[in-house]
Amino acid sequence: MSRRKPGRDRRGRGAPGWALGQALLIVLFLCLFPLHAAADGPDPSAGAGGEPRQLAGEVGPAQGGPEDKASDQYGNVTEEEAGGVGPRIADPLESWNRAMYHVNDKLYFWLLKPAAKGYKYVLPESVRGAIGNFYENIKAPIRIVNNFLQGKPRYAALELARFFINSTMGVGGLSECATTCFGIAGRDTGFGQTLGTYGVGFGFYIVWPVLGPSSPRDTVGWVADLALTPTTYVSSQWISPETVGLYVLDKVNYTSFHLGDYEALKAAAIDPYVAMRDAYVQNRKKALEQ
Amino acid sequence: MKKKIAGMALPLLLALSLSAFAGVPLDTVKTNVDGVLEVLRDPKLQGEAGKKVKAQKIEAASDKMFDFVELSKRTLGLSWNKFTQEQRKEFVRLFKSILTDAYMDRITAYTDEQVNFTKEVPLSEDTVEVRSVVIGKQGNVPIDYRVIKEDNQWKVYDVVIEGVSLIGNYRSQFREILGSNPPETLLDTLRKKAGAR
Repeated sequence: MSRRKPGRDRRGRGAPGWALGQALLIVLFLCLFPLHAAADGPDPSAGAGGEPRQLAGEVGPAQGGPEDKASDQYGNVTEEEAGGVGPRIADPLESWNRAMYHVNDKLYFWLLKPAAKGYKYVLPESVRGAIGNFYENIKAPIRIVNNFLQGKPRYAALELARFFINSTMGVGGLSECATTCFGIAGRDTGFGQTLGTYGVGFGFYIVWPVLGPSSPRDTVGWVADLALTPTTYVSSQWISPETVGLYVLDKVNYTSFHLGDYEALKAAAIDPYVAMRDAYVQNRKKALEQ
Repeated sequence: MKKKIAGMALPLLLALSLSAFAGVPLDTVKTNVDGVLEVLRDPKLQGEAGKKVKAQKIEAASDKMFDFVELSKRTLGLSWNKFTQEQRKEFVRLFKSILTDAYMDRITAYTDEQVNFTKEVPLSEDTVEVRSVVIGKQGNVPIDYRVIKEDNQWKVYDVVIEGVSLIGNYRSQFREILGSNPPETLLDTLRKKAGAR
């Protein structure tokens, strides 16, 4: 697209401009490779004497070219070239957060990962996919309500349609029929994002044990989303063997599709804690823009 | 005389074909990604025996696809200026090796999935964002490639996965180190990281 724009400008200036540009390009090329031309010249008529000259000619540009370019490439950057500073989040609880990061790290490697691996081994992909779809479908109220609250009634309606189609034709949400049969794409969102669209900031970074990276805003959002999740009401208490069991199954099922993701992030990072914090902020910021 | 004309025509042809090629950032990225996927899916390169050839081919492909100097500059931002020429060169070399190693496994994980290139969005006069979606078994993963036009070629200087910019993510990590330490400390950390593999 950015290419098309200058293209239009060029056309606006008319054909002479284009021809001039083309001519300049040719001149530039001729100036850049005089030694190649010189080397090419004697080549066909080359006897024994031609060879050394050709060699000299080839060494010339090969040495000069990359070096010139390199020193230019490795030169200083201006503020503009350096690019802006990304989104940041305050981290007043860093020592607590780092401790919780390590707790979650161990929870992943010692509990969640082995559980997900065994689970993946036992259950075929189709079954795990169906379970994933079921959880996705049952969380539809979160998406319907929050799309609506964010002033996106069209997406709220689409999510409602998805919920009906998947719950009926998709056999209680086990199959993602709305997308696969009808191509209806929804918009994933939650109450944390709704607060964000109303102008509520993150506050600061907080890492919860088990739940992971969050902020006061997204913690409130998480609780509100839980209130809109039907599985919360399988028992009279919010925290009960049933609700915890359903949460764990969701988590294990999800992880069975994402084994290796966290390991890769950790392996690529210089400081995994900072990498996670930054990924959280960037991801949430981006979600708000969509 | 004839030879002279031919000599002039060749660079002209080259220039024309190059400019036509550079005209389509999306196609450039798509071709490069397809090239990497082809290497990864090559049945002849499966298993331990093909591993080394595979790694070499991927490295060649990533050299063609990425501008690691631009990527490094944008990751360090203005801190780049605090590095000497030699330190800059070493930084680029180390950072490239860490990224290639770390993402090799990740790319491999996507071999079975379909990648759709959706559109390109201009960011500035010489940079464009090429958007793609990896169609996964459980939901799609949006991957955006930010490319810059250099020497008539579009080269990737940032990859944005699910809204998380690669260079932004490293910038925040390097900032913590460079905030209170000289460039040498960061280089030392990277040396250890690159050497540990």
